[in-house]
Amino acid sequence: MKVAIVVQRYGAEMNGGAELHARYIAERLARHHDIRVFTTCARDYVTWANELPAGPDDVNGVAVERFPVVHERDTRTFGRLSDRVFEHVHSIADELKWLDAEGPTSPSLRRHLESVRDRFDVFIFFSYRYWHAYHGMRATDRKAMLVPTAERDPAIGLSLFPPVFRAARAIMFNSFEERAMIRHAAGTDDLRGAVVGVGSDVPETTDANRFRQEFGINGPFAIYVGRIDENKGCPELFQNFQAYAARMRGQLQLVLIGKTLLPIPKHPRIHHLGFLTDRQKFDAMAAAAVLIMPSYFESLSMVALEAWALGKPVLANGRCDVLKGQAIRSNAGLYYESYGEFAEALDAIVSTPSLAQTLGRNGAAYFTRHYAWPVIERKYLETLDRIAREGPASRPMDPLPGFFARRRSELPAARNVLSRIPSGPSLS
Amino acid sequence: MSDSSVRADSVDVEQIMRQIRSRIRDKRGVDYTEDQIRELANAKLERFLDPNGVRSGLFEEFRRQPPPATYAFEDTTLFDSDKPLIRFFRKLLRPLLKLMFNPNVLSSTLHNQAEFNDYVKGLHPLYFELMHNLVLETTRLAIEVKNLKMRVESVQSRLEFNERRSRALEGVVQYKPEALQRQPPAARDNDPRTEPQGGTDPVTGGESLRTRRRRRRRGRRGQPGQAPGAAPDASASTAAGDEGPDDDGPDNGEAAADWQPGPAVEAGPARDTASGSPAPDRGDDSGGGSAPPDSQ
Repeated sequence: MKVAIVVQRYGAEMNGGAELHARYIAERLARHHDIRVFTTCARDYVTWANELPAGPDDVNGVAVERFPVVHERDTRTFGRLSDRVFEHVHSIADELKWLDAEGPTSPSLRRHLESVRDRFDVFIFFSYRYWHAYHGMRATDRKAMLVPTAERDPAIGLSLFPPVFRAARAIMFNSFEERAMIRHAAGTDDLRGAVVGVGSDVPETTDANRFRQEFGINGPFAIYVGRIDENKGCPELFQNFQAYAARMRGQLQLVLIGKTLLPIPKHPRIHHLGFLTDRQKFDAMAAAAVLIMPSYFESLSMVALEAWALGKPVLANGRCDVLKGQAIRSNAGLYYESYGEFAEALDAIVSTPSLAQTLGRNGAAYFTRHYAWPVIERKYLETLDRIAREGPASRPMDPLPGFFARRRSELPAARNVLSRIPSGPSLS
Repeated sequence: MSDSSVRADSVDVEQIMRQIRSRIRDKRGVDYTEDQIRELANAKLERFLDPNGVRSGLFEEFRRQPPPATYAFEDTTLFDSDKPLIRFFRKLLRPLLKLMFNPNVLSSTLHNQAEFNDYVKGLHPLYFELMHNLVLETTRLAIEVKNLKMRVESVQSRLEFNERRSRALEGVVQYKPEALQRQPPAARDNDPRTEPQGGTDPVTGGESLRTRRRRRRRGRRGQPGQAPGAAPDASASTAAGDEGPDDDGPDNGEAAADWQPGPAVEAGPARDTASGSPAPDRGDDSGGGSAPPDSQ
């Protein structure tokens, strides 16, 4: 089969969740099918500035084609339009403007997808909320498959997206919570696809002592891995950990790994190590007592899966449905919804080795059962086989409304739509 | 969570979280739950804080101040109308209007003002949250200070008690050589431990040490600040396992060899009655639970 993967950014150095997800899937599927990646020249997910050369490229043996972005994101305009569509009654035209402001706007990519539409059997789009996915799926109608990587944020309440969800040949969900949310947003349970997620290239051996020697970290520590950003719940993590360090016994430290967009508090027990290589990251996770995931919005959390793969327990933000659901389903992590729960749960894991070991063991078993590469590959290959057997979809995507209807301000605020979508972990 | 039982192969995360929540509910004092602190901060602030310093109605007062009104003001707003006819004429006559004055400046200024109002409105909840957090934190600190004060008082009374006891022990030990001299040599050779029991006080001139101890205990019972529950009679108290303070009691292994051993020496490990946790090693308490009054 000839399969195209379309994603907002692509490269070996891209460590964002959806981008890394796309790369892993592309590299794994390349062993079975003819894979080609279409993406933009952007490297920065905020500005979408064209930093990589347009044209063909090769990343780890996968053919890649990059297209320029026509304008960078103007955060002021994007913020104003976000306020309009998320908080107020608005029109489809407003939503289209919002999508254009969000980016990465690349008409050349859309034109190219239209032109090669007949040359590929399936187009797999990543991240439903970006320009490339919406317009790309319209350009490759009846052949589009979607990996939405949806989080519980107001964008899911926009009226642009339900037709896209309904028209996808298959949706590869990251979690049961994501599936429930998208089904509700699309207004139908009749969405084809599977809860798949993504595997991870966890090394077979790690060396905790190597990490401790390399970075001079002694004693027990909790670890956070990922972008240090307000959207990831890091300010709350700092606040909680500082209170924990001041009030609870023990000498637990907090090690932060990743690029920071926030000032990190100066505290003798908080260490920021910056961006590390994969080897260093996995060594650090192996040395840690627990991984903390403070994010409110996650569609899967690959880092949590990696911690589980290494047999480490996870302490997750219980206000994130996906993380809470994963922790309960796996029996491999605790969660918190307040400082009191954070402190007690962290203390429970750190001071009770039997609990930490059991949670870690459950995590490793859960990862092997659901997120090991053979499992993920099998699900993707089965879905692709089904699409190949069935051929292009008979029903096209719902068209956009006409000129006047598109400008009629009658759509509810996206945040109100989101509030009507049931929340909580999907445990049934 | 040292008291949580974890079986090797079966962990129920939801069960553990229920345990954690119940543990948080059970905690009092320094570890108030967030909700409790919020409740205290909202309703009973004056009980913990100086009312002149922070007013308990601060939130409500702040809330009563309305944020600035916000409105959208674009370049077309001045000429907009619900009625198409009026809108048409305004549009038609706009060039004439522009001959008389420059409405663009007005539009731009009002647009900036509208944006500023939006900005201030955005700050309003931040200020509220900041103030709210400050009052919560002040309440939390007030509670902590109160608890720490109680702990300091407890430690202080324990220290005073130990000082009294050490002084009493020093007083007893200095009589020992003289008492030994007054004892018949045969008795000394046979059992040195019998000496204090039957010995006479060199100061009182014939009154036995045991009688003197008993009298001192009786005297102490009348003093203020005595530990509640102290037995009226020292021997009864000892027999019943009461571990009240005894100035003359054996304090360590060496001293215990000089004094008549009582059942209190056999008492189990002491528990700090305030915290329910094992008490710190007091060394000379003879299994001693002589908890100071303030810690009970």
